[in-house]
Amino acid sequence: MAKWGMVIDLDKCTGCTACTTSCGMENNRLPGENWQDVLFYQEGEFPSGTLKWFPRPCMHCENASCVEVCPTRATYKDADGFVLIDWNKCIGCKYCMIACPYGVRFYTDEKAPIQPDVKQVFKGDGQRSWNPPWRAPDSRDDWKHGVGIQPNGVVSKCTFCYHRVSKAPKGTPDLNPANPALREFTPACVVTCAPTARYFGDLSNPNSEVSKMIANQRGVRLRDHTGNKPQVYYLTGGAGGAVPTDRRGKKA
Amino acid sequence: MSNNASTMTPPSGLVNTVALAGIAGVVVSLALVFMNMAGQGHASFNTTSDGVVWGLPVSTYLFFVVMSTGLTFVSAFGMVFGIREFYPVAKRCVWLALATLIAGFTVLAFELGHPFRMLWALPTSFQIYSPMNWMGVLYGAELLFIVWKLQKLEAGDWESGVSKKLGMASFIAAILAVAMLGSVFGMMAMRPYWFGGMIPMYFLLTALLCGVALTMLTSYVAYGFDRDRMPGALQDLLKGTTSTLYASLPVVFSTVIGITLVALTLRTATGLWSHQDGFEAFNWMVGTPWFLLQAIALLVAFFLMVNPGTRAGQGAQVGAALLVLVAMFIGSYLFVVGGQVVPVFKGVWVADFVEYAPSLTEWMLVVLGVSLCLALYGFGEKKLNLGAAPDK
Repeated sequence: MAKWGMVIDLDKCTGCTACTTSCGMENNRLPGENWQDVLFYQEGEFPSGTLKWFPRPCMHCENASCVEVCPTRATYKDADGFVLIDWNKCIGCKYCMIACPYGVRFYTDEKAPIQPDVKQVFKGDGQRSWNPPWRAPDSRDDWKHGVGIQPNGVVSKCTFCYHRVSKAPKGTPDLNPANPALREFTPACVVTCAPTARYFGDLSNPNSEVSKMIANQRGVRLRDHTGNKPQVYYLTGGAGGAVPTDRRGKKA
Repeated sequence: MSNNASTMTPPSGLVNTVALAGIAGVVVSLALVFMNMAGQGHASFNTTSDGVVWGLPVSTYLFFVVMSTGLTFVSAFGMVFGIREFYPVAKRCVWLALATLIAGFTVLAFELGHPFRMLWALPTSFQIYSPMNWMGVLYGAELLFIVWKLQKLEAGDWESGVSKKLGMASFIAAILAVAMLGSVFGMMAMRPYWFGGMIPMYFLLTALLCGVALTMLTSYVAYGFDRDRMPGALQDLLKGTTSTLYASLPVVFSTVIGITLVALTLRTATGLWSHQDGFEAFNWMVGTPWFLLQAIALLVAFFLMVNPGTRAGQGAQVGAALLVLVAMFIGSYLFVVGGQVVPVFKGVWVADFVEYAPSLTEWMLVVLGVSLCLALYGFGEKKLNLGAAPDK
């Protein structure tokens, strides 16, 4: 069994949001509901203020609090390390959204964050919550793993592109998109990342590139104090993007 | 065992009014909720994935089911602990516990994405680590025991072995259910405003407070705000002229309001004092006009009930009960929303709080819950002789 994980080198990340776009196209995301978001924020004040950014997919945590709170086990941890949602079992209680320390989950059935509401333009058919013309083939719909266009009344989130990664040859240590043989199995955001800031591989394999990078470049996990143990690691030397460790503003 | 003849006073005309208002409220609110949700689904709510996920409907659910537990507590004073002075309100409390439970879960059903799927997905999947799952199991058990107990009371069986065991079972189920409901929030370490093992204790306390308040209020409504029409035992309980101090409803009420005030004050002070991330929610809480209203309502109610000069007065008791119910509804809202106003991660660098104002549909669910309670209460008062008590 693999333990798939991601490494994001913040020194390389340019904040171009190509990952967001490719994820949106790959997974039919609604505008504004980005499974793979890049968050922009300001640190410091004029004249020394700087713009920072932070790419943030689902962390696919080892000790995922969303898995433990889900009363119907609709959110579950796969044997290969994916945290997935079974849309056939999700009751839309949204407890997982409450329990996720990273805010990476989305309830389908709510006001559109960006107008116009494309769900009203490409209306759903009763099953799907909407029906975009550019969607993937119907045969790829896999509700048990939260893949496809989600139905109404359920929660969705990044799947680590389960539909691609789960088809990778067993025992593959790294899914490097530079290798044509592995490219189609690699998550869309990793394939698209122009500055090669993203790496995807098996964290349980000490010889994988991702394991070595985490060890040699002191990979850090976001909000590690929660004990969720993310399977997404960040490399940071201080330039460019940065892991936000605290709020900018103090209490009013 | 037969019912006491002195409790057979026919329900007042006010009960009819309450029941009709309840039915009208249910019809109007359901029509608006269905109309809005049929067209927009949950987009008719103002909850958002990057803001407040659990809004007014969840806090309304919380308010009702916590009250249900509190009413079970009050009924247990007589039926579990043998304080016979509480018998005149016991059956009314059991019925109201059922009514509030139904109201709470009705509101929740409209909040869930797939309420009917829950019916098979919960028992077949059974996530033992999820406090929400256990909350469902325990409230289910409470519902079962309440209905069973009510059936016994309706048959005039107050003190048989089975009836007493059912009273005990519903009491224990109610304690565990509300404690587990508290844990749904209290176990969320990633949301400091909610986190803590004492949160379930706070829920138990506020449950009792709500239960006593509604008991007091409905005792007056049942007899058209005319204490002279009440059975003597009920008058004694309300006036506090019973032989024992703890068998005086105003004394119990003032004590519980007082303890709640202390708990609320200490929780707020702790939150304001701490600089931990997420505790900014306490700044938000005290900055809302609702918090001020809640504090004033509780303080006035406490003064009315702790002051020997006003404690036994009808107007003071009705006023205090209403104030406490309003305060607890606000408290429930501030608690549920407060845990989400500081973004957990999205936009943590933004010092501002998440903005949330309930939509019309969400408010209509509040109306639905309240109206359902009123209608069920009226039905019970007219058909089930809720003032019944066993012979001495």
